[in-house]
Amino acid sequence: MTDPMTEPYLSPSPHPSRRSTLRATGVGALLLGSVLTGCRSAVSASSYRAEDDSGPRRGGTVSVAINSDFTPSLLFSQSSQPLQNRLLFNTLTRFDDALKPHPELATSWTYAKDGRSITLRLRNDVTYHDGRRFTADDVIFAVRNLQDPQHAAQLRATAAAITGFEKRGDHELVLKLAHPVTNLFDLFEFMIIPDRHTVAQAVTGKTLNGTGPFRLKKWSPGSSLSLTRNDRYFRPGRPYLDAVELRVIPQAEALISSLRSGQSQLSFQVPGKSIRTVRDNPDLVVTTYDTGAGASYLGVNTTIAPFDDKTVRQALAWSVDRERILKQSLGGYGLASAAPWPKSSPAYTEANRTHYTYDPAKARRLLKSAGHSRLTAPLLHLNSPESTAIAEAVQYDLQQAGVRVTLQPTDPATAQKKLISQDMPALWTMDHGFAQVQPATLAVSAYPFNEAKNTSKYRSEHYTKVVREAWTAAGAGTARQHALEQRVSDVLLDEAFIIDLVVQGSVQVASSKLRGATLNKFLYLNLDDAYLV
Amino acid sequence: MTALTPTTGAAPGAAPTARKAPARRHPYLAALRTPRGLTGLALVALIVLGGLLAPLLSGHDPTAQSGLGLAAPGTNGHPLGTDDLGRDLLSRVLYGIRTDLGVIALAVPLGALLGCLFALLAAAHPVADTAVQRVFDLILAFPGLILALAVTAVLGPGRLPVILVIALAEIPVFGRQLRGGILVQREREYVVAARVGGTSRSRALVRHILPNAADPLVVQLALSLTVAVFLEGAMSFLGVGVRPPEPTLGSVLNQSMPYLADAPQFAAGPLLAVTALVLGLSLVADALNREIRR
Repeated sequence: MTDPMTEPYLSPSPHPSRRSTLRATGVGALLLGSVLTGCRSAVSASSYRAEDDSGPRRGGTVSVAINSDFTPSLLFSQSSQPLQNRLLFNTLTRFDDALKPHPELATSWTYAKDGRSITLRLRNDVTYHDGRRFTADDVIFAVRNLQDPQHAAQLRATAAAITGFEKRGDHELVLKLAHPVTNLFDLFEFMIIPDRHTVAQAVTGKTLNGTGPFRLKKWSPGSSLSLTRNDRYFRPGRPYLDAVELRVIPQAEALISSLRSGQSQLSFQVPGKSIRTVRDNPDLVVTTYDTGAGASYLGVNTTIAPFDDKTVRQALAWSVDRERILKQSLGGYGLASAAPWPKSSPAYTEANRTHYTYDPAKARRLLKSAGHSRLTAPLLHLNSPESTAIAEAVQYDLQQAGVRVTLQPTDPATAQKKLISQDMPALWTMDHGFAQVQPATLAVSAYPFNEAKNTSKYRSEHYTKVVREAWTAAGAGTARQHALEQRVSDVLLDEAFIIDLVVQGSVQVASSKLRGATLNKFLYLNLDDAYLV
Repeated sequence: MTALTPTTGAAPGAAPTARKAPARRHPYLAALRTPRGLTGLALVALIVLGGLLAPLLSGHDPTAQSGLGLAAPGTNGHPLGTDDLGRDLLSRVLYGIRTDLGVIALAVPLGALLGCLFALLAAAHPVADTAVQRVFDLILAFPGLILALAVTAVLGPGRLPVILVIALAEIPVFGRQLRGGILVQREREYVVAARVGGTSRSRALVRHILPNAADPLVVQLALSLTVAVFLEGAMSFLGVGVRPPEPTLGSVLNQSMPYLADAPQFAAGPLLAVTALVLGLSLVADALNREIRR
């Protein structure tokens, strides 16, 4: 039997003419579908069998397929490809699934009773890739680095709440706060600790000197980020892997093919609609994370009439069929929700999730009560197939309620710029993060929600007040804290300047040969304990 | 005198018959009557009629979504099934053809017209010729898709940018073609004779040169339509073409990509339509070319 992957199917003519070229083009178009369709069986037939796991073993290279390149200038914000952050660097602490912090570079900590300072004890056995010892000065620099507005770090407000530093030797540090904050450990989870001497080169991608398990070997812009094992890593015997390569494969189909053919062993960027094409592959394992790091939403510019009217915005919230968007546009991977919170969030409640359901009749009534029967508005969306599918579904639902929407496909870089600079049209759809950690972080950090300056240009003393109270209240996890967080939810749901659609989890597609890969809450990939069987 | 000029082939004493040589059919018509031309014409007609009669052939609104999601052919009165948003696939393909035809039928003649005007300008004066050639070089330096991305980066996606990109890409193609024809024709004896007889330069160009230089343009027109189909499809495929939810063959094909393995009928419709259209136009162009060269 002929191997379908090597069988020649288009032999070049010895005398190619225009006619034969055109015919070949036509035939080629016909064959495209069948060839692409055939790839699946071809690859499956020649793929390996999963071996028994006999425990961790040293060696091997893991290739991670990513759909967008590492952007060093955005190293300290959450706007870029974040997978490499925990491979090259470390954070002070790491959350478990219940948002309980665990030691990483900080071995222990003590909060002051008034919540206005925290004492950190740091590891004394950590060195940077270049051999320099990690000290408390590096933590001070990391905090100040995030306070720098030029990095546009979303957790800058939390970093800015740290107003004083008291060093007690090289490995103990007191952080003094202007006021208590409930999301300090979100900052510790988010904030990578760079080498203060080479940070200028880090944001250009020339040098990425961290304390993480892998060191930079080579960055080929637009192609790959090659990392090699850090022999000085503070965890004895870790990492198991010799090398990691992040390969940029923008096209979803090509990315999936690289996973199916074994060229890549790991990806978090297989679109939800395509998961079913790899779900039944015995050589691949699909794992979902409830990080909620990419909730899809419909944003509303509250300075453009008639969307400055809360009733109109609420009508939009009742117009959209979230379950249909989840099923048809996202392949069912996620949680249809009117609120931004994933199930793991302390602010999650079923009442919040179902605050708005699909009710076009109610939407029309609300629009009528606000004095509108037909509205027109532009809707910006990313020009990727997934975002276009969401935008088209929203467009259709809004049209049923009497809101005629013109789609504005936009490239991601321009959309991000507009998001940050608050230059959005009346409506837009994108994804937001920061709902997966302490609820206050969303409202003080994420561009669409930030109480001080958000993309919707929504301003309200009440919103600022409830956000500040939830952010600065002492005693995370208490009933009072939950009540304050619910007040934030109430404002978000009532004002509807951000209309959440679907809270998406992260979906990991990995080779069955790869074990031990995990993500932190900000989608930093952790391969400390990963190995190949 | 008549006795010295016998009628060829006529029996002696028979009444002379004025037999005319059969009039040669116009080469374009002759080309379309060849098997190649007929096949091409049939394929093009099939697709064009499909697009024109879209409202009659499909009773579904191509933008109407439903809860069906991706459905198999024959489900709930959808002959080709529905796409991932529950829209009727047959109507999206038919209306997609209509959109594509609307774009290329406007863009290619526009490009051809502008290209011909530039060629005439180039033929008028050597300095103008040099300037026009450099403009053509500049446009040709950008591959079609790069040109498309550059234009949409400025204008944003939409129908107008697609028309502009295709027209822009075709200007040097037609311009160079016509300019070459003019340069060849104006050295011919009949043109020289006309000029010696007092015909002005512009009259010679319009009355004598242009009609004889135009034949290759007809072939080029058919070829350019195929290129335009590809370019429009590629732009829609990349998400910089006609804005959704208006269907185009390229955008439907793009949406089908995640489902190639499970629902090949999703991609089959637009693929077959593009293939038939391109193949048909290529065959027509080939038939015209052969007939004109005879």
